[in-house]
Amino acid sequence: PRLHNRRTWVSECVFLSILDLTEQIQARRSVKKEWQAAWLLKAVTFIDLTTLSGDDTSSNIQRLCYKAKYPIREDLLKALNMHDKGITTAAVCVYPARVCDAVKALKAAGCNIPVASVATGFPAGQTHLKTRLEEIRLAVEDGATEIDVVINRSLVLTGQWEALYDEIRQFRKACGEAHLKTILATGELGSLTNVYKASMIAMMAGSDFIKTSTGKETVNATFPVAIVMLRAIRDFFWKTGNKIGFKPAGGIRSAKDSLAWLSLVKEELGDEWLKPELFRIGASTLLSDIERQIYHHVTGRYAAYHDLPMS
Amino acid sequence: MAATRAGPRAREIFTSLEYGPVPESHACALAWLDTQDRCLGHYVNGKWLKPEHRNSVPCQDPITGENLASCLQAQAEDVAAAVEAARMAFKSWSVHPGIVRAQHLTRLAKVIQKHQRLLWTLESLVTGRAVREVRDGDVQLAQQLLHYHAIQASTQEEALAGWEPMGVIGLILPPTFSFLEMMWRICPALAVGCTVVALVPPASPTPLLLAQLSGELGPFPGILNVISGPASLVPVLASQPGIQKVAFCGALEEGRALRRSLAGECAELGLALGMESLLLLTDTADLDSAVEGVVDAAWSDRGPGGLRLLIQESVWDEAMRRLQERMGRLRSGRGLDGAVDMGARGAAACDLVQHFVREAQSQELNYDTLASLFPQPAGWAEIGPSPAPPYGLFVGGRFQAPGARSSRPIQDSSGNLHGYVAEGGAKDIRGAVEAAHQAFPGWAGQSPGARAALLWALAAALERRKSTLASRLERQGVELKAAEAEVELSARRLRAWGARAQAQGHTLQVAGLRGPVLRLREPLGVLAVVCPDGWPLLAFVSLLAPALAYGNTVVVVPSTACPLLALEVCQDMATLFPAGLANVVTGDRDHLTRCLALHQDVQAMWYFGSAQGSQFVEWASAGNLKPVWVSRGCPRAWDQEAEGAGPELGLRAARTKALWLPMGD
Repeated sequence: PRLHNRRTWVSECVFLSILDLTEQIQARRSVKKEWQAAWLLKAVTFIDLTTLSGDDTSSNIQRLCYKAKYPIREDLLKALNMHDKGITTAAVCVYPARVCDAVKALKAAGCNIPVASVATGFPAGQTHLKTRLEEIRLAVEDGATEIDVVINRSLVLTGQWEALYDEIRQFRKACGEAHLKTILATGELGSLTNVYKASMIAMMAGSDFIKTSTGKETVNATFPVAIVMLRAIRDFFWKTGNKIGFKPAGGIRSAKDSLAWLSLVKEELGDEWLKPELFRIGASTLLSDIERQIYHHVTGRYAAYHDLPMS
Repeated sequence: MAATRAGPRAREIFTSLEYGPVPESHACALAWLDTQDRCLGHYVNGKWLKPEHRNSVPCQDPITGENLASCLQAQAEDVAAAVEAARMAFKSWSVHPGIVRAQHLTRLAKVIQKHQRLLWTLESLVTGRAVREVRDGDVQLAQQLLHYHAIQASTQEEALAGWEPMGVIGLILPPTFSFLEMMWRICPALAVGCTVVALVPPASPTPLLLAQLSGELGPFPGILNVISGPASLVPVLASQPGIQKVAFCGALEEGRALRRSLAGECAELGLALGMESLLLLTDTADLDSAVEGVVDAAWSDRGPGGLRLLIQESVWDEAMRRLQERMGRLRSGRGLDGAVDMGARGAAACDLVQHFVREAQSQELNYDTLASLFPQPAGWAEIGPSPAPPYGLFVGGRFQAPGARSSRPIQDSSGNLHGYVAEGGAKDIRGAVEAAHQAFPGWAGQSPGARAALLWALAAALERRKSTLASRLERQGVELKAAEAEVELSARRLRAWGARAQAQGHTLQVAGLRGPVLRLREPLGVLAVVCPDGWPLLAFVSLLAPALAYGNTVVVVPSTACPLLALEVCQDMATLFPAGLANVVTGDRDHLTRCLALHQDVQAMWYFGSAQGSQFVEWASAGNLKPVWVSRGCPRAWDQEAEGAGPELGLRAARTKALWLPMGD
């Protein structure tokens, strides 16, 4: 769809009582006991298991990929009668230079978990468009099937929506067959209205997912921002019939947090969005906490640090 | 590896991703009921009152129907005992300095905090309301309220200098009410030094628990007394001689009946009727957030009186689509489940809904049952027609001949004829009210500054007319010096109210909400004023000035003995004021009062006259439930600042509207 035909979709809008709602979402929709265990296992299948550090090496990546394949200890899954469900994380997410390592490790482990690569000058996006596009192409060549691109925040802050649309179109083209996940870096967009507009434009330009943050900003995935993005996704679906995915990332560390995110998506978009094709959680340490909670649910004890394998 | 504890259902839930129950234990509420042997009486003067030979009603879990306790129903003598206890407590509670009451209220807030789990569990168990709502809303807000009013009490000596606590307040609560609603009414009463007797519907243990917590605090056990009983006790409580004010919350018709039965009694009456909220949804709104607000207000457990939602046509479809979608996700269930949006409402709420429906079906009202109380005055027909009365009625900005074409003679203090004034009747009142209504939108829309300017202009005109006015007063037996002083004081009053209206603009409050709250002082509408007989100029001006300053338009009945002074002022108003702003109707005061009090389109009425007249005005006000201010035959010192121009007049001349301005981002 061309942007100028759809300009009214990005009309002026204000967001009022979102804070009120978000304060209640955790309290209103808690799940306990076996409901909690089942929800946590479901959350595992949404995780993009991520490592984005300067000190990533091939052995780190190998360990990460193994953890992605076996996210929860086999005996715990057996106790829950879930061992035959093939529970893995949704993807692994790495820097472009580590894509080769990840593809190799996953192949060795004999599984088809997709490899996601960040790109386009992650995390700031402050490099030339030419190199940003080249970065996407190289990651795809190395075997990444999902590309997490960052948008150019300066275009949002100066109101150059057409230019933003055109850039994301070019990202889309560079991705080819790979899925395009567009990071809005909402912590740097200034207002909820900007978040809504940027979400709409990212979806119109052909993103498969919209993602909250890089995890490197000072403010990352927050509920008010998420609700605005989820409502943009719903509005887009009502207008076009296309379901676009949602990926919160950054700062989601505890099992309890992940439950709140699941219920938020369930409340705002409904059960049909609760599948890995439409919902991801970007996280690195979250998985360990979920495994600890499952351990406690199964055994009634709290796990020691060495009881569970690291990721 | 420890033994497996996992249930068999995880597999299914993994696929369906359904929510599960999040039950809260109600053991502490049952334990408290056990301390009363599952039999609740009343709480009076710091003690449980469980008289013998009383009927009892069961207090049930609205979901399971399980009997939780039996509650004794009060009889008239139990009510009398509670009022007596409150009256005794008032003697010590009211004389303490505000800071002592502030400390006591703060301690009560702490006790509520200490027992908050018991409070929210009991409230949720008995009423079926969602526990989250009670726990995160009511109980927390109740503590904030107590702290707020404690602070108010501590500054009372300065902030409310010259005001006195009324005495014992009789609080009547509707069949369904929230813990918080009760606190809204109890806290301010206690803070200023009043004591409270609350009549709660049968099987409401939470107020009793609150009274117990308050009573066990020590030095002031009788300040809060709770009686549990049927609605038939409402008139009994209201007519107890020790009660100074009745605060009634409930249905419109019951309030109307209470207004009539309390007419002329010494107890003041405050009415909170219907309590419906209004929500406007315009096309500039963020529809999703607005829908969230609607659902919160209407289908969670907040608004007992219901909600009226008005949607702008251009966003109707979008708003309804979102509303229906949101409603589809609403979860209801047991109140003590932590994850429901809406608890069970119980049988009483169901009855209330049906009551509203019935009420809507029978909108016909009967005003005439007590009309014989205040008969048509005899004698006004005796006054013969006068060929050329010098003064007409001042209606719609000019002097007009009265409908009856008759006039009445006015005598001066020595018994000589002073002049003729028109004899107004029902039709003249009708015309005056119509004229006032036509002028109202324009006047209410004026800025306070413009209103002040007009009052100042009238003050200047009054000073120019000083010698005429003073000589008129002199003929009524006022000494020249005093007469001149009265004219000067009248002009000062006009200026003072103009200045006050300008200075006391609308205020901005910072509340715990997102976005500021505007506190608006809005005019009442068409205000009818019946002036006292004494102080023919000063009382007239002292009443006119605040009424106009706050944006009302008025229909005034001036002093019967000497209406000429008011009519002199009308000559200036005719040139200065917009037509219909102030209308002055002379004639038989009782007859005109009757016409105004029974007028359904007069929004408020002030009456300064006999006790019998006051009783009638109160009774008749039940028709459209207009706020009335009556003197009950007590004289007022109009030349004193406190009584003639005190803040009370300003408070009576306008009403407060709170406007929340939610903000984005």
